Amino acid sequence: MSSTVVLRTYKVPRALGGCSGNKKCHVIRSRRPLASSTFFHSATTFLSKPSLITVTEEPDTLFQKVSLLVKGHDKSVLDSYELFATMAAKELGITISKVCDLPKDTERFTLLKSVHIFKNHRVQYEMRTHYRFVELSHLTGSTAQVYLEYVQRNLPEGVAMEVTKIAMEKVPDHILKPMWEEDPIDKKISQ
Amino acid sequence: MATHAGRSLLCLGRIRASGLGLQGPLSRVTYATHVSTRSSSGKTGLPTRGGGKLGRRPKRAPGDPRTEKMPVDQDWTAVYPAAAPFRPGSVPLPVRMGYPVKRGVPPEKKGNLELIKIPNFLHLTPAAIRKHCEALKAFCTEWPSALDTDAKCDEHFPVKTESTDYVSAGPSVRNPAARVVRLKVKLSCLNLDDHAFKKMLKLVGERYCRDTDTLTITADRCPLRQQNHDHATYLLTVLYHESWKTEPWEAQKSVADMEEYSWEDSPSQRNLVDTLVRAEGEEVREQLLGRREVHEYKDSVTRLKNEGESERTVMLYKEAVKKVLDL
Repeated sequence: MSSTVVLRTYKVPRALGGCSGNKKCHVIRSRRPLASSTFFHSATTFLSKPSLITVTEEPDTLFQKVSLLVKGHDKSVLDSYELFATMAAKELGITISKVCDLPKDTERFTLLKSVHIFKNHRVQYEMRTHYRFVELSHLTGSTAQVYLEYVQRNLPEGVAMEVTKIAMEKVPDHILKPMWEEDPIDKKISQ
Repeated sequence: MATHAGRSLLCLGRIRASGLGLQGPLSRVTYATHVSTRSSSGKTGLPTRGGGKLGRRPKRAPGDPRTEKMPVDQDWTAVYPAAAPFRPGSVPLPVRMGYPVKRGVPPEKKGNLELIKIPNFLHLTPAAIRKHCEALKAFCTEWPSALDTDAKCDEHFPVKTESTDYVSAGPSVRNPAARVVRLKVKLSCLNLDDHAFKKMLKLVGERYCRDTDTLTITADRCPLRQQNHDHATYLLTVLYHESWKTEPWEAQKSVADMEEYSWEDSPSQRNLVDTLVRAEGEEVREQLLGRREVHEYKDSVTRLKNEGESERTVMLYKEAVKKVLDL
Protein backbone atom coordinates (compact mmCIF):
# COMPACT_ATOMS: atom_id res chain seq x y z
CA MET A 1 0.00 0.00 0.00
CA SER A 2 2.39 2.74 -1.14
CA SER A 3 1.30 6.25 -0.29
CA THR A 4 3.25 7.71 -3.19
CA VAL A 5 0.72 6.45 -5.77
CA VAL A 6 -1.69 9.36 -6.08
CA LEU A 7 -2.87 8.52 -9.60
CA ARG A 8 -6.10 6.51 -9.60
CA THR A 9 -7.63 5.03 -12.69
CA TYR A 10 -11.27 4.98 -11.62
CA LYS A 11 -13.58 7.92 -10.92
CA VAL A 12 -14.24 8.94 -7.34
CA PRO A 13 -17.58 7.36 -6.40
CA ARG A 14 -20.24 9.79 -5.25
CA ALA A 15 -20.36 8.36 -1.73
CA LEU A 16 -16.65 8.82 -1.18
CA GLY A 17 -16.28 12.39 -2.36
CA GLY A 18 -14.57 13.52 0.82
CA CYS A 19 -11.88 10.85 0.71
CA SER A 20 -8.35 12.12 1.08
CA GLY A 21 -5.85 11.51 -1.67
CA ASN A 22 -3.47 9.00 -0.19
CA LYS A 23 -5.90 6.56 1.43
CA LYS A 24 -7.04 3.62 -0.66
CA CYS A 25 -10.81 3.77 -1.27
CA HIS A 26 -12.73 0.50 -1.13
CA VAL A 27 -16.04 0.22 -2.94
CA ILE A 28 -18.31 -1.26 -0.29
CA ARG A 29 -20.74 -3.88 -1.53
CA SER A 30 -23.78 -5.35 0.25
CA ARG A 31 -22.62 -4.69 3.79
CA ARG A 32 -19.74 -7.15 3.74
CA PRO A 33 -16.63 -5.38 4.98
CA LEU A 34 -13.41 -6.59 3.44
CA ALA A 35 -11.88 -8.54 6.25
CA SER A 36 -9.35 -10.33 4.08
CA SER A 37 -7.14 -7.25 3.81
CA THR A 38 -7.33 -6.49 7.53
CA PHE A 39 -6.62 -10.14 8.28
CA PHE A 40 -3.61 -10.31 6.04
CA HIS A 41 -2.03 -6.98 6.81
CA SER A 42 -2.53 -7.09 10.53
CA ALA A 43 -1.81 -10.82 10.77
CA THR A 44 1.56 -10.21 12.32
CA THR A 45 0.22 -7.77 14.90
CA PHE A 46 -2.77 -9.98 15.71
CA LEU A 47 -0.80 -13.16 16.21
CA SER A 48 1.62 -11.39 18.51
CA LYS A 49 -1.36 -10.61 20.80
CA PRO A 50 -2.50 -13.98 22.20
CA SER A 51 -5.73 -12.56 23.69
CA LEU A 52 -7.62 -12.81 20.36
CA ILE A 53 -8.06 -16.59 20.63
CA THR A 54 -10.25 -17.61 23.55
CA VAL A 55 -10.68 -21.25 24.55
CA THR A 56 -13.90 -21.98 26.44
CA GLU A 57 -15.11 -25.12 28.18
CA GLU A 58 -18.35 -25.13 26.19
CA PRO A 59 -18.49 -28.30 24.05
CA ASP A 60 -18.07 -27.70 20.32
CA THR A 61 -20.96 -28.63 18.02
CA LEU A 62 -20.10 -31.43 15.61
CA PHE A 63 -21.26 -31.16 12.02
CA GLN A 64 -21.52 -34.40 10.14
CA LYS A 65 -22.03 -32.58 6.84
CA VAL A 66 -21.83 -28.99 5.66
CA SER A 67 -22.99 -28.55 2.09
CA LEU A 68 -22.64 -25.38 0.04
CA LEU A 69 -24.87 -24.71 -2.93
CA VAL A 70 -23.56 -21.73 -4.91
CA LYS A 71 -25.80 -20.09 -7.49
CA GLY A 72 -24.80 -17.62 -10.15
CA HIS A 73 -25.45 -16.43 -13.68
CA ASP A 74 -21.90 -16.94 -14.95
CA LYS A 75 -20.35 -20.40 -15.02
CA SER A 76 -16.75 -19.20 -15.11
CA VAL A 77 -17.24 -17.17 -11.93
CA LEU A 78 -18.56 -20.30 -10.23
CA ASP A 79 -15.57 -22.29 -11.53
CA SER A 80 -13.15 -19.83 -9.96
CA TYR A 81 -15.13 -19.76 -6.75
CA GLU A 82 -15.13 -23.55 -6.56
CA LEU A 83 -11.36 -23.53 -6.94
CA PHE A 84 -11.07 -21.01 -4.12
CA ALA A 85 -13.48 -22.86 -1.79
CA THR A 86 -11.89 -26.28 -2.34
CA MET A 87 -8.40 -24.88 -1.88
CA ALA A 88 -9.39 -23.09 1.31
CA ALA A 89 -10.95 -26.32 2.65
CA LYS A 90 -7.77 -28.29 1.86
CA GLU A 91 -5.56 -25.70 3.53
CA LEU A 92 -7.68 -25.74 6.67
CA GLY A 93 -7.67 -29.54 6.74
CA ILE A 94 -11.36 -30.10 5.98
CA THR A 95 -12.40 -33.29 4.13
CA ILE A 96 -14.27 -32.59 0.91
CA SER A 97 -16.63 -35.46 0.16
CA LYS A 98 -18.29 -34.20 -3.02
CA VAL A 99 -17.94 -31.43 -5.58
CA CYS A 100 -20.40 -31.48 -8.45
CA ASP A 101 -22.05 -29.36 -11.06
CA LEU A 102 -25.84 -29.37 -10.99
CA PRO A 103 -27.78 -28.78 -14.22
CA LYS A 104 -28.67 -25.16 -14.85
CA ASP A 105 -32.16 -23.65 -14.57
CA THR A 106 -33.43 -21.40 -17.34
CA GLU A 107 -36.33 -19.05 -16.86
CA ARG A 108 -37.71 -17.80 -20.16
CA PHE A 109 -40.45 -15.35 -20.89
CA THR A 110 -41.91 -13.70 -23.95
CA LEU A 111 -42.91 -10.05 -24.01
CA LEU A 112 -44.40 -7.75 -26.61
CA LYS A 113 -41.71 -5.87 -28.48
CA SER A 114 -43.70 -2.71 -28.95
CA VAL A 115 -45.28 -0.42 -26.41
CA HIS A 116 -48.59 -0.36 -28.27
CA ILE A 117 -50.20 -3.01 -30.56
CA PHE A 118 -48.02 -5.20 -32.87
CA LYS A 119 -49.01 -8.40 -31.17
CA ASN A 120 -47.14 -10.53 -33.71
CA HIS A 121 -43.76 -9.07 -32.81
CA ARG A 122 -42.43 -10.34 -29.56
CA VAL A 123 -39.11 -10.46 -27.80
CA GLN A 124 -37.88 -13.35 -25.64
CA TYR A 125 -35.64 -13.13 -22.58
CA GLU A 126 -34.10 -15.83 -20.49
CA MET A 127 -32.28 -15.98 -17.17
CA ARG A 128 -29.85 -18.82 -16.58
CA THR A 129 -28.93 -19.88 -13.07
CA HIS A 130 -25.90 -22.16 -12.78
CA TYR A 131 -25.23 -24.19 -9.66
CA ARG A 132 -22.19 -25.65 -7.94
CA PHE A 133 -22.40 -28.08 -5.02
CA VAL A 134 -19.60 -28.64 -2.51
CA GLU A 135 -20.04 -31.05 0.36
CA LEU A 136 -17.71 -31.11 3.34
CA SER A 137 -17.84 -33.67 6.09
CA HIS A 138 -16.72 -34.01 9.68
CA LEU A 139 -16.30 -30.41 10.79
CA THR A 140 -16.31 -29.01 14.29
CA GLY A 141 -18.36 -25.94 15.13
CA SER A 142 -15.36 -23.61 15.34
CA THR A 143 -13.86 -24.84 12.06
CA ALA A 144 -17.22 -24.54 10.33
CA GLN A 145 -17.68 -21.01 11.60
CA VAL A 146 -14.19 -19.97 10.48
CA TYR A 147 -14.46 -21.60 7.05
CA LEU A 148 -17.98 -20.36 6.33
CA GLU A 149 -17.18 -16.82 7.36
CA TYR A 150 -14.04 -16.81 5.19
CA VAL A 151 -15.83 -18.26 2.20
CA GLN A 152 -18.91 -16.03 2.56
CA ARG A 153 -16.91 -12.82 2.93
CA ASN A 154 -15.19 -13.60 -0.36
CA LEU A 155 -18.40 -14.42 -2.21
CA PRO A 156 -18.30 -12.48 -5.48
CA GLU A 157 -21.02 -10.05 -6.49
CA GLY A 158 -23.97 -11.66 -8.24
CA VAL A 159 -23.48 -15.03 -6.57
CA ALA A 160 -25.76 -16.45 -3.88
CA MET A 161 -25.09 -19.31 -1.49
CA GLU A 162 -27.15 -21.77 0.56
CA VAL A 163 -25.40 -23.58 3.37
CA THR A 164 -27.04 -26.70 4.84
CA LYS A 165 -25.55 -27.90 8.11
CA ILE A 166 -26.31 -31.27 9.72
CA ALA A 167 -25.31 -31.17 13.37
CA MET A 168 -24.98 -34.33 15.46
CA GLU A 169 -26.29 -34.48 19.01
CA LYS A 170 -26.63 -37.13 21.67
CA VAL A 171 -30.07 -38.40 22.66
CA PRO A 172 -31.33 -35.93 25.29
CA ASP A 173 -31.25 -37.16 28.89
CA HIS A 174 -34.99 -36.93 29.38
CA ILE A 175 -35.64 -39.38 26.53
CA LEU A 176 -33.44 -42.18 27.84
CA LYS A 177 -36.17 -43.70 30.01
CA PRO A 178 -39.93 -43.23 30.08
CA MET A 179 -40.96 -41.02 32.98
CA TRP A 180 -43.86 -43.28 33.91
CA GLU A 181 -41.53 -45.74 35.67
CA GLU A 182 -40.51 -43.19 38.28
CA ASP A 183 -43.96 -41.62 38.64
CA PRO A 184 -46.59 -44.36 38.49
CA ILE A 185 -49.10 -41.91 40.04
CA ASP A 186 -49.17 -39.88 36.80
CA LYS A 187 -49.91 -43.03 34.86
CA LYS A 188 -52.85 -43.88 37.11
CA ILE A 189 -54.21 -40.35 36.78
CA SER A 190 -54.01 -40.57 32.98
CA GLN A 191 -55.86 -43.88 33.05
CA MET B 1 -6.03 13.41 -11.68
CA ALA B 2 -9.68 12.76 -11.13
CA THR B 3 -9.36 13.40 -7.41
CA HIS B 4 -7.48 16.67 -7.90
CA ALA B 5 -10.20 17.95 -10.17
CA GLY B 6 -12.90 16.59 -7.91
CA ARG B 7 -11.49 18.18 -4.82
CA SER B 8 -10.99 21.52 -6.45
CA LEU B 9 -14.56 21.52 -7.81
CA LEU B 10 -15.91 20.65 -4.39
CA CYS B 11 -14.01 23.51 -2.81
CA LEU B 12 -15.23 25.89 -5.46
CA GLY B 13 -18.82 24.82 -4.93
CA ARG B 14 -18.62 25.33 -1.22
CA ILE B 15 -16.94 28.69 -1.47
CA ARG B 16 -19.77 29.94 -3.64
CA ALA B 17 -22.38 28.65 -1.19
CA SER B 18 -20.66 30.23 1.77
CA GLY B 19 -20.63 33.50 -0.15
CA LEU B 20 -24.45 33.28 -0.21
CA GLY B 21 -24.38 32.93 3.56
CA LEU B 22 -26.14 29.55 3.77
CA GLN B 23 -23.91 27.60 6.18
CA GLY B 24 -22.88 28.04 9.76
CA PRO B 25 -19.37 28.33 11.06
CA LEU B 26 -18.69 24.59 10.79
CA SER B 27 -18.47 24.37 7.02
CA ARG B 28 -16.22 27.38 6.92
CA VAL B 29 -13.91 25.71 9.44
CA THR B 30 -13.61 22.51 7.36
CA TYR B 31 -12.97 24.36 4.13
CA ALA B 32 -10.52 26.86 5.56
CA THR B 33 -7.83 24.16 5.47
CA HIS B 34 -8.85 23.04 2.01
CA VAL B 35 -8.76 26.57 0.69
CA SER B 36 -5.30 27.14 2.14
CA THR B 37 -3.82 24.01 0.53
CA ARG B 38 -5.46 24.75 -2.78
CA SER B 39 -4.23 28.34 -2.89
CA SER B 40 -0.68 27.24 -2.20
CA SER B 41 -0.68 25.08 -5.34
CA GLY B 42 -1.37 28.10 -7.47
CA LYS B 43 -4.96 27.71 -8.67
CA THR B 44 -7.36 30.57 -7.99
CA GLY B 45 -11.01 30.25 -7.02
CA LEU B 46 -12.55 31.06 -10.40
CA PRO B 47 -14.38 28.18 -12.17
CA THR B 48 -12.52 26.91 -15.19
CA ARG B 49 -15.08 24.57 -16.73
CA GLY B 50 -15.52 24.18 -20.43
CA GLY B 51 -14.46 27.26 -22.38
CA GLY B 52 -12.07 30.01 -21.55
CA LYS B 53 -8.58 29.35 -20.45
CA LEU B 54 -8.05 25.65 -19.81
CA GLY B 55 -5.92 26.27 -16.70
CA ARG B 56 -2.53 27.85 -16.53
CA ARG B 57 -0.71 24.60 -15.77
CA PRO B 58 -0.53 22.10 -18.64
CA LYS B 59 -1.81 18.64 -17.79
CA ARG B 60 0.87 16.21 -16.71
CA ALA B 61 1.37 13.41 -19.22
CA PRO B 62 0.39 10.02 -17.79
CA GLY B 63 3.45 7.97 -17.02
CA ASP B 64 4.13 4.35 -17.80
CA PRO B 65 1.64 1.93 -16.27
CA ARG B 66 2.81 0.13 -13.19
CA THR B 67 2.97 -3.14 -15.10
CA GLU B 68 6.19 -2.05 -16.83
CA LYS B 69 8.00 -1.73 -13.52
CA MET B 70 6.68 -4.90 -11.85
CA PRO B 71 9.35 -7.51 -11.10
CA VAL B 72 8.52 -11.10 -12.02
CA ASP B 73 8.91 -12.41 -8.48
CA GLN B 74 6.87 -9.69 -6.78
CA ASP B 75 4.41 -10.32 -3.97
CA TRP B 76 1.06 -10.33 -5.80
CA THR B 77 -0.86 -10.28 -2.52
CA ALA B 78 0.40 -6.73 -2.03
CA VAL B 79 -0.91 -5.60 -5.43
CA TYR B 80 -4.41 -7.02 -4.83
CA PRO B 81 -4.81 -7.49 -1.07
CA ALA B 82 -8.60 -7.22 -1.15
CA ALA B 83 -11.41 -7.45 -3.66
CA ALA B 84 -11.01 -4.58 -6.11
CA PRO B 85 -12.11 -3.91 -9.68
CA PHE B 86 -9.80 -4.78 -12.52
CA ARG B 87 -7.09 -2.18 -13.11
CA PRO B 88 -5.34 -2.60 -16.47
CA GLY B 89 -2.36 -0.67 -15.19
CA SER B 90 -1.86 -3.05 -12.25
CA VAL B 91 -2.37 -6.43 -13.92
CA PRO B 92 0.65 -7.40 -16.04
CA LEU B 93 -1.26 -9.85 -18.23
CA PRO B 94 -2.11 -9.32 -21.92
CA VAL B 95 -5.81 -10.02 -21.37
CA ARG B 96 -8.34 -9.46 -24.10
CA MET B 97 -12.08 -9.62 -23.57
CA GLY B 98 -15.14 -8.87 -25.61
CA TYR B 99 -16.80 -9.86 -28.83
CA PRO B 100 -14.58 -9.06 -31.83
CA VAL B 101 -15.81 -6.90 -34.68
CA LYS B 102 -15.57 -8.33 -38.18
CA ARG B 103 -11.98 -9.26 -39.04
CA GLY B 104 -10.90 -8.15 -35.61
CA VAL B 105 -9.74 -9.47 -32.27
CA PRO B 106 -11.28 -9.08 -28.83
CA PRO B 107 -10.50 -5.60 -27.51
CA GLU B 108 -7.45 -5.04 -25.31
CA LYS B 109 -7.57 -4.54 -21.57
CA LYS B 110 -7.03 -0.74 -21.59
CA GLY B 111 -10.43 0.89 -21.10
CA ASN B 112 -12.25 -2.43 -21.34
CA LEU B 113 -15.54 -2.32 -19.46
CA GLU B 114 -16.16 -6.06 -19.75
CA LEU B 115 -13.11 -6.77 -17.64
CA ILE B 116 -14.23 -4.32 -14.99
CA LYS B 117 -17.82 -5.64 -14.91
CA ILE B 118 -17.02 -9.28 -14.28
CA PRO B 119 -16.02 -10.22 -10.70
CA ASN B 120 -12.31 -11.03 -10.57
CA PHE B 121 -10.44 -13.31 -8.23
CA LEU B 122 -7.12 -11.49 -8.42
CA HIS B 123 -7.14 -11.10 -4.64
CA LEU B 124 -7.66 -14.85 -4.13
CA THR B 125 -4.63 -16.39 -5.79
CA PRO B 126 -3.32 -19.64 -4.25
CA ALA B 127 -0.58 -17.69 -2.47
CA ALA B 128 -3.15 -15.35 -0.92
CA ILE B 129 -5.41 -18.26 0.11
CA ARG B 130 -2.45 -19.96 1.80
CA LYS B 131 -1.62 -16.79 3.70
CA HIS B 132 -5.22 -16.33 4.83
CA CYS B 133 -5.56 -19.95 5.92
CA GLU B 134 -2.31 -19.75 7.88
CA ALA B 135 -3.80 -16.91 9.88
CA LEU B 136 -7.17 -18.67 10.24
CA LYS B 137 -5.79 -22.04 11.34
CA ALA B 138 -5.41 -20.80 14.89
CA PHE B 139 -9.18 -20.49 15.22
CA CYS B 140 -10.01 -24.00 13.96
CA THR B 141 -10.41 -27.09 16.09
CA GLU B 142 -9.67 -30.70 15.27
CA TRP B 143 -12.32 -33.30 14.55
CA PRO B 144 -12.23 -36.07 17.21
CA SER B 145 -10.27 -38.92 15.70
CA ALA B 146 -12.48 -41.60 17.25
CA LEU B 147 -15.43 -40.59 15.02
CA ASP B 148 -13.90 -41.28 11.66
CA THR B 149 -16.76 -43.27 10.09
CA ASP B 150 -20.43 -42.36 9.68
CA ALA B 151 -21.48 -45.54 11.48
CA LYS B 152 -19.62 -44.50 14.64
CA CYS B 153 -21.10 -41.02 14.44
CA ASP B 154 -24.61 -42.50 14.18
CA GLU B 155 -23.97 -44.81 17.10
CA HIS B 156 -22.81 -42.12 19.52
CA PHE B 157 -24.75 -39.13 18.18
CA PRO B 158 -28.00 -40.44 16.70
CA VAL B 159 -29.96 -37.17 16.71
CA LYS B 160 -29.30 -35.05 13.59
CA THR B 161 -30.39 -31.42 13.38
CA GLU B 162 -30.49 -29.91 9.90
CA SER B 163 -30.72 -26.18 9.24
CA THR B 164 -30.01 -23.94 6.25
CA ASP B 165 -28.33 -20.53 5.98
CA TYR B 166 -28.90 -18.25 2.99
CA VAL B 167 -26.40 -15.66 1.70
CA SER B 168 -27.42 -13.32 -1.08
CA ALA B 169 -27.30 -9.67 -2.00
CA GLY B 170 -30.50 -7.77 -1.60
CA PRO B 171 -32.23 -5.13 0.45
CA SER B 172 -32.20 -7.40 3.51
CA VAL B 173 -29.65 -9.82 4.91
CA ARG B 174 -32.33 -12.00 6.53
CA ASN B 175 -34.16 -14.87 4.88
CA PRO B 176 -37.31 -16.20 6.59
CA ALA B 177 -36.62 -19.71 5.29
CA ALA B 178 -33.57 -19.89 7.52
CA ARG B 179 -35.70 -20.52 10.62
CA VAL B 180 -36.69 -24.05 9.54
CA VAL B 181 -35.13 -26.86 11.60
CA ARG B 182 -35.40 -30.57 10.76
CA LEU B 183 -34.69 -33.08 13.47
CA LYS B 184 -33.92 -36.64 12.30
CA VAL B 185 -33.54 -39.61 14.59
CA LYS B 186 -33.49 -43.38 14.09
CA LEU B 187 -36.17 -45.03 16.21
CA SER B 188 -33.91 -48.03 16.81
CA CYS B 189 -31.65 -45.74 18.89
CA LEU B 190 -34.45 -44.78 21.25
CA ASN B 191 -35.47 -46.94 24.19
CA LEU B 192 -38.87 -48.17 22.91
CA ASP B 193 -40.59 -51.48 23.51
CA ASP B 194 -42.97 -53.15 21.06
CA HIS B 195 -46.15 -51.35 22.13
CA ALA B 196 -44.32 -47.99 22.38
CA PHE B 197 -42.87 -48.43 18.89
CA LYS B 198 -46.27 -49.16 17.34
CA LYS B 199 -47.90 -46.28 19.19
CA MET B 200 -45.11 -43.95 18.10
CA LEU B 201 -45.67 -44.93 14.47
CA LYS B 202 -49.36 -44.18 14.81
CA LEU B 203 -48.64 -40.82 16.47
CA VAL B 204 -46.17 -39.56 13.89
CA GLY B 205 -47.85 -40.89 10.77
CA GLU B 206 -46.14 -39.67 7.61
CA ARG B 207 -43.05 -38.33 9.37
CA TYR B 208 -41.56 -41.83 9.67
CA CYS B 209 -39.78 -43.53 6.80
CA ARG B 210 -39.83 -47.33 7.00
CA ASP B 211 -36.91 -47.93 4.64
CA THR B 212 -34.41 -45.87 6.62
CA ASP B 213 -36.12 -46.20 10.03
CA THR B 214 -35.87 -42.40 10.42
CA LEU B 215 -38.29 -40.08 12.14
CA THR B 216 -38.14 -36.52 10.73
CA ILE B 217 -39.67 -33.67 12.72
CA THR B 218 -39.80 -30.36 10.81
CA ALA B 219 -40.28 -27.29 13.00
CA ASP B 220 -40.97 -23.94 11.38
CA ARG B 221 -43.73 -22.39 13.43
CA CYS B 222 -41.45 -20.15 15.53
CA PRO B 223 -39.72 -17.06 14.15
CA LEU B 224 -36.20 -17.97 15.32
CA ARG B 225 -34.08 -21.02 14.61
CA GLN B 226 -33.19 -21.63 18.25
CA GLN B 227 -36.87 -21.59 19.16
CA ASN B 228 -37.67 -24.07 16.43
CA HIS B 229 -34.86 -26.34 17.59
CA ASP B 230 -36.23 -26.28 21.14
CA HIS B 231 -39.76 -26.93 19.85
CA ALA B 232 -38.59 -29.94 17.84
CA THR B 233 -36.79 -31.39 20.88
CA TYR B 234 -39.92 -30.80 22.95
CA LEU B 235 -42.04 -32.64 20.35
CA LEU B 236 -39.65 -35.58 20.41
CA THR B 237 -39.80 -35.74 24.21
CA VAL B 238 -43.59 -35.63 24.24
CA LEU B 239 -43.89 -38.32 21.53
CA TYR B 240 -41.52 -40.59 23.41
CA HIS B 241 -43.28 -40.34 26.74
CA GLU B 242 -46.77 -40.54 25.27
CA SER B 243 -45.91 -43.68 23.34
CA TRP B 244 -44.95 -45.47 26.56
CA LYS B 245 -48.33 -44.66 28.11
CA THR B 246 -51.15 -47.21 27.69
CA GLU B 247 -54.57 -45.60 27.53
CA PRO B 248 -57.70 -47.62 28.46
CA TRP B 249 -59.22 -47.22 25.00
CA GLU B 250 -56.21 -48.92 23.41
CA ALA B 251 -57.71 -52.22 24.51
CA GLN B 252 -60.34 -51.74 21.78
CA LYS B 253 -57.71 -52.17 19.06
CA SER B 254 -59.26 -54.23 16.29
CA VAL B 255 -57.88 -56.28 13.42
CA ALA B 256 -58.24 -53.27 11.09
CA ASP B 257 -55.90 -51.20 13.35
CA MET B 258 -53.10 -53.75 13.34
CA GLU B 259 -49.93 -52.64 11.57
CA GLU B 260 -48.95 -56.12 10.42
CA TYR B 261 -50.92 -59.13 9.32
CA SER B 262 -50.90 -62.05 11.76
CA TRP B 263 -52.13 -65.47 10.61
CA GLU B 264 -53.45 -66.61 14.01
CA ASP B 265 -57.24 -66.25 14.26
CA SER B 266 -57.49 -65.05 10.70
CA PRO B 267 -60.02 -66.18 8.05
CA SER B 268 -57.11 -67.80 6.17
CA GLN B 269 -56.30 -70.10 9.10
CA ARG B 270 -59.95 -70.98 9.61
CA ASN B 271 -60.41 -71.79 5.93
CA LEU B 272 -57.30 -73.96 5.76
CA VAL B 273 -58.19 -75.87 8.92
CA ASP B 274 -61.76 -76.45 7.71
CA THR B 275 -60.52 -77.65 4.31
CA LEU B 276 -58.00 -80.09 5.78
CA VAL B 277 -60.49 -81.39 8.37
CA ARG B 278 -63.02 -82.00 5.60
CA ALA B 279 -60.37 -83.85 3.61
CA GLU B 280 -58.87 -85.95 6.37
CA GLY B 281 -61.44 -86.14 9.11
CA GLU B 282 -62.32 -84.39 12.35
CA GLU B 283 -59.63 -85.95 14.55
CA VAL B 284 -56.62 -84.23 12.90
CA ARG B 285 -57.75 -80.69 13.87
CA GLU B 286 -55.36 -80.38 16.85
CA GLN B 287 -52.35 -81.78 14.94
CA LEU B 288 -52.79 -79.55 11.93
CA LEU B 289 -51.05 -76.54 13.37
CA GLY B 290 -47.95 -78.63 14.13
CA ARG B 291 -47.43 -79.72 10.54
CA ARG B 292 -44.54 -78.33 8.51
CA GLU B 293 -46.65 -77.65 5.40
CA VAL B 294 -49.14 -75.68 7.43
CA HIS B 295 -46.27 -73.60 8.81
CA GLU B 296 -44.95 -72.94 5.32
CA TYR B 297 -48.40 -71.93 4.17
CA LYS B 298 -48.67 -69.58 7.16
CA ASP B 299 -45.27 -67.99 6.33
CA SER B 300 -46.14 -67.50 2.67
CA VAL B 301 -49.50 -65.91 3.41
CA THR B 302 -47.95 -63.61 6.02
CA ARG B 303 -45.23 -62.60 3.58
CA LEU B 304 -47.77 -61.93 0.83
CA LYS B 305 -49.85 -59.68 3.05
CA ASN B 306 -46.95 -57.80 4.70
CA GLU B 307 -44.48 -57.42 1.87
CA GLY B 308 -46.97 -57.11 -0.94
CA GLU B 309 -47.28 -59.09 -4.16
CA SER B 310 -44.14 -59.82 -6.06
CA GLU B 311 -42.95 -62.73 -8.19
CA ARG B 312 -41.08 -64.28 -5.32
CA THR B 313 -43.88 -64.11 -2.76
CA VAL B 314 -46.50 -65.44 -5.20
CA MET B 315 -44.24 -68.35 -6.19
CA LEU B 316 -43.63 -69.22 -2.54
CA TYR B 317 -47.39 -69.16 -1.92
CA LYS B 318 -47.96 -71.45 -4.88
CA GLU B 319 -45.35 -73.94 -3.60
CA ALA B 320 -46.82 -73.84 -0.10
CA VAL B 321 -50.38 -74.43 -1.38
CA LYS B 322 -49.23 -77.37 -3.51
CA LYS B 323 -47.51 -78.95 -0.52
CA VAL B 324 -50.40 -78.43 1.88
CA LEU B 325 -53.03 -79.86 -0.48
CA ASP B 326 -50.70 -82.64 -1.77
CA LEU B 327 -51.03 -81.59 -5.41
